[in-house]
Amino acid sequence: MSYYFVIIGTKDNPLFEHEFGTYRQGGDGISRFREDTRHMNQFVAHASLDILEEVQWAGGQMYLKTIDRYPPTGSTISAFITAANAKFLLLHQPNNISTTSNPSSLTANRNAPTSTTPAATDEAIKNFFNDVYDSWVKTIMNPFWRVDTPVRSPVFRSRVAASAKKYL
Amino acid sequence: MNPAPPAHAHAPSLKTPLTTAQQQQQLAAGRNVSPSPGLRYPSNKKTIYDRNLSRSKNAELSRAAFGYLFVEMIGYAQRRVRGVADLEKRLNAQGYPLGLKLLDLLLTRSPLPSTSPSLRPTRILPLLQFITTTLWKHLFGRPADALERSAANADEYMISDNEPLVNTYISVPREMSQLNCAAYVAGVIEGVCDGAGFATRGVSAHWVGEGGGEGGKGMWPGKTVFLIRFADEVLEREEILGKNG
Amino acid sequence: MAIIKDRLVVFALLVINKAGGLIYNREFHSGLNKMSSNDYLILAGTFHGVHAITKSLSPLPRTQSANGTSASAPSPFVNRPTGLEVLESAHFRLQCFQTVTGTKFLLFTEPQQPNVDNVMKRIYELYSDYVMKNPFYTVEMPIRCEKFDRSLDAFVKVKS
Repeated sequence: MSYYFVIIGTKDNPLFEHEFGTYRQGGDGISRFREDTRHMNQFVAHASLDILEEVQWAGGQMYLKTIDRYPPTGSTISAFITAANAKFLLLHQPNNISTTSNPSSLTANRNAPTSTTPAATDEAIKNFFNDVYDSWVKTIMNPFWRVDTPVRSPVFRSRVAASAKKYL
Repeated sequence: MNPAPPAHAHAPSLKTPLTTAQQQQQLAAGRNVSPSPGLRYPSNKKTIYDRNLSRSKNAELSRAAFGYLFVEMIGYAQRRVRGVADLEKRLNAQGYPLGLKLLDLLLTRSPLPSTSPSLRPTRILPLLQFITTTLWKHLFGRPADALERSAANADEYMISDNEPLVNTYISVPREMSQLNCAAYVAGVIEGVCDGAGFATRGVSAHWVGEGGGEGGKGMWPGKTVFLIRFADEVLEREEILGKNG
Repeated sequence: MAIIKDRLVVFALLVINKAGGLIYNREFHSGLNKMSSNDYLILAGTFHGVHAITKSLSPLPRTQSANGTSASAPSPFVNRPTGLEVLESAHFRLQCFQTVTGTKFLLFTEPQQPNVDNVMKRIYELYSDYVMKNPFYTVEMPIRCEKFDRSLDAFVKVKS
């Protein structure tokens, strides 16, 4: 699995981006997005915001589970929304998609290369989000932080990377 | 054959995913470029990220320390101020970021440790209850004294506090008698509402000690009402959610 | 301050700033002769001068202050010369307390009034709360703080 994680502010502006690969099944933590579709990641992630904004009022949960899919690249988007409406989006994509032209290959691929069950993946993503949220709240406790400003702290980045390594 | 367009292909035009190219550049720069010279990051495990969020949960602050700090804050806000309304606006602006922060912090703290954070308020009433109980207890050590909906205007809600803590030591001079320094607290409330996605047309603090009714004045001369006026779209959404749920 | 059970007769309180100007004047209990506000100003200025002189009369530091009431109002700088602290006549007693910043509180009470030190301490507390923590008060200027007036009244009148 390859992951693209982005935090989006209340004005739909990106605040933080991080790309990584899985550490499960002997993964090395390096993302392996296909080069020809990699530039789509930001676009696909942002496109899910419409859905997120509908889902967010259905209940008070912060973790909104999987909210969107993009079959051509086999990408799935999970979302988490903080109390102050910062959005965490995680785009995950299986590594070895044989063909992008056939959307039905998605289901086959989802089952084949990853041995983890969807429920376990879901739980892992939830834990990852909760962990990041903890770091995020600490970030916004910084008196110099202003709403909707990009986060540049290398410590925050390493924290996110550590959470990724721990759960994904 | 081209891949089938995603169901929400229209979405990007509405959302304009990358709001400004500039911001995108900044973001990219932050990722690749080493931190600017002169800015040092502690490597000794003493950053804000190494502190537990619940550590100061039950910590108390000296009231005198706050008193003196608030004196300075008001003094700062009073510089080149154009009038009482302007001063209240500045105090409001000082409280606003605090509201944003406390919203996230208190929701992370409220459940038992190790469980996930509690629910976000998605309706007006839970939001106001969060403010009058959780937020008030955190800031002032007690819940607010009353929460009412205005009879005249459906979009107005009122939170009363008989004796706002921020005003404990403050005597407002006669020539500024309209001023209520609890405008700072109004700013905190506005920050919470705004942060949670409940846009307001303003939160303001008003004295109701005088003329509010016989006996009222003697008991609580400093009674203050925080008037919250929600924006129309919030009420609209509330109505839709009410129908569905 | 529940320890002050005795009946309390406090006639008036004066506050003098460090330049000798009268910045606060309040009568609680009628009994003192009426004085014009100008007279109060003169009294404040005169007392300020006398206090300064008595302070310089005081023996060299490190010895206990030679004034009659050695255990008067508590001060963080015990060894500093304090100057005049009590003025007593057959019909009233004037107690002076000077803060470390040079502000003086003058309290007019009945001559037999006990526990004046505690009363003074409490008044100093009220002053530091409702005057010094009031953002609209400028130091050394006349005190116009509604909450200070009200809390003084509550404190002095409840006791009497």
